[in-house]
Amino acid sequence: MKWRHVWVVLRKELRDGLRDRRSLFSALVFPLIGPVLVVVMFRFIAQQQAIDEPVPLPVIGAEHAPGLVEYLRQHDIDVREPPADAGEAVRTGEAPAVLVIPADYGDRFRASRSVRVELMVDNSRNETRSKVRRARRVLEAYAAGIGAQRLLLRGIDPQIAAPVAVAEVDLATAQQLAANVLNVIPMFVMMAAFIGGMYVATDSTAGERERGSLEPLLANPVSRTALVLGKWLATATLSGTSLLLTLVTAGVALSRAPLEELGVQASFGLDQAAVVCLVMLPVALLAAGLQLVVATFARSFREAQTYLSVLTLAPMLPGVMLTVMPLDQARWTLVVPILGQQQVLMDVIRGDAIGPAQLLVPSVIVLVLGLVCVRATAWLFGRERIVFGG
Amino acid sequence: MIRVHELRKAFGETLAVESVSFEAPQGRITGLLGPNGAGKTTTLRMISTMVAPDGGSAQVDGLDVQTHREQVRRRLGVLPDARGLYPRLTARENVRYFGQLHDLDDDAIDREIGRLFALLDMGALADRRVHGFSQGERMKVVIARALVHRPTHVMLDEPTNGLDVMSTRAMRDVIRGLRDEGRCVVFSSHVMQEVAALCDEIVVIARGRVVAQGTPESLCEQTGKANLEDAFVAAIGTDEGLAR
Repeated sequence: MKWRHVWVVLRKELRDGLRDRRSLFSALVFPLIGPVLVVVMFRFIAQQQAIDEPVPLPVIGAEHAPGLVEYLRQHDIDVREPPADAGEAVRTGEAPAVLVIPADYGDRFRASRSVRVELMVDNSRNETRSKVRRARRVLEAYAAGIGAQRLLLRGIDPQIAAPVAVAEVDLATAQQLAANVLNVIPMFVMMAAFIGGMYVATDSTAGERERGSLEPLLANPVSRTALVLGKWLATATLSGTSLLLTLVTAGVALSRAPLEELGVQASFGLDQAAVVCLVMLPVALLAAGLQLVVATFARSFREAQTYLSVLTLAPMLPGVMLTVMPLDQARWTLVVPILGQQQVLMDVIRGDAIGPAQLLVPSVIVLVLGLVCVRATAWLFGRERIVFGG
Repeated sequence: MIRVHELRKAFGETLAVESVSFEAPQGRITGLLGPNGAGKTTTLRMISTMVAPDGGSAQVDGLDVQTHREQVRRRLGVLPDARGLYPRLTARENVRYFGQLHDLDDDAIDREIGRLFALLDMGALADRRVHGFSQGERMKVVIARALVHRPTHVMLDEPTNGLDVMSTRAMRDVIRGLRDEGRCVVFSSHVMQEVAALCDEIVVIARGRVVAQGTPESLCEQTGKANLEDAFVAAIGTDEGLAR
């Protein structure tokens, strides 16, 4: 095996690949799409969770219950004049709910009797649900407060009427949601590695055979290992470029995302960015190796493309697992390719210190697996079925 | 000098080559004639180290094709059955790639490309991308690619397949030129005309076996026929799969 041959093949495949519009497209366009999508998601979440905005609430018969209305106003409810058709306003989502206060409110209230007020809602509307819940809570809090005062006036401890007090602790904060979205970014970066080199991997293996150039190529006095190493490095170069580009656009996109508003801490320094690149870049070696071996094994160019499209989904698995599983993970995940990189990446995002083991172990593992793939591809290149088809 | 002794190759149940022996000396054109499926391509693939024989042996310059693959490949210029080019590379880049894989330095490659492109009259094609080339133009690039390392032995599998009359005549001139330079030229064909017009030595192959071999004159003598075509048909037993 001569390294000069590897260099010759690498240069040829890169030149060939860069003249192919499809390979350029996949290597350069995907990195721009992914991170931008993430930012859009962030903005969406920020809009959904605009907690501080007062809840607009039209009230019918507000004049009958000035005390209640005053209480609502003090608790972030924007009491409004009722629309002409209250039912229609709720159904169309114009108002999240409409409160109806009956005319006998004052009389019954003074007599310490229960008053029935109606909250008109449309439960089929998702976007108004949280506002309805807030309006309802304020109303219930008012009722509970008045009830407690009445009991106290009669010399009774209000706790007697509330044997069990339920306190709901809502964990689905905007911060949590945003953190989940942040977990998607490593997945995008991994996918970029798999998409960037896809065409070169296919073209230099299955394509080479379909074109009828594989047999002449193999007739040269060059070891198969040198040929495959060259093709591997060419594929990995495009994969790595795509991966780096995705990291850069993700960095730029995140710096423009409303992270602070959502309470997510993700402040990157340049040194952290360098660590991230160092950890993620070797993934390209594994992606390229896997793609070569799979595309060589396929019987045709089209078949290879189909397989590689499916392979692109592989890095999504750990991403999904990370989103579902808690962030704290066992140390053994460090040796699982891709999952290891993601773990280190999350450590960096959380601002934890990165040790030499975390820096080296995942990289060495993907490098070794990549070389195993090269070996397997070189072996396949020696098979008569692979070279001549059939 | 290529020496082939009782080569044998089976693909699963199918016996592609049963027993093929012949010698192809330097400065001579040796033609393998046989109907489609006779085992010509498989024989050439075994000599060019692309397929491992199941039995027998083949030597190029006394070097065994199984034990001295790399040295054999350096001595061989092969125009295989598959003759694909890289469509996004220019003619020059296609040829240069193979020159580099043969460890030639840039000067040697440039010199050889200049010589071959002049010989094949393809100066105008040199720096155009191969995509869109005609059959004849593609074939010129393939020939230049196979000869860039100045091989002492040249093997061509059905070299005129799919070529028009002009290209076929040009190809014949190239083959004669290679012989006149003292190289060992082996080519396969199922076209009787072709073999009759070009060959110094003829090896007739049918059903994986050599059924007759010798110079054109000796073949006529052996079969007792007046002309070469009748001699071929007599040797093979049928004219099925052959072309005039």
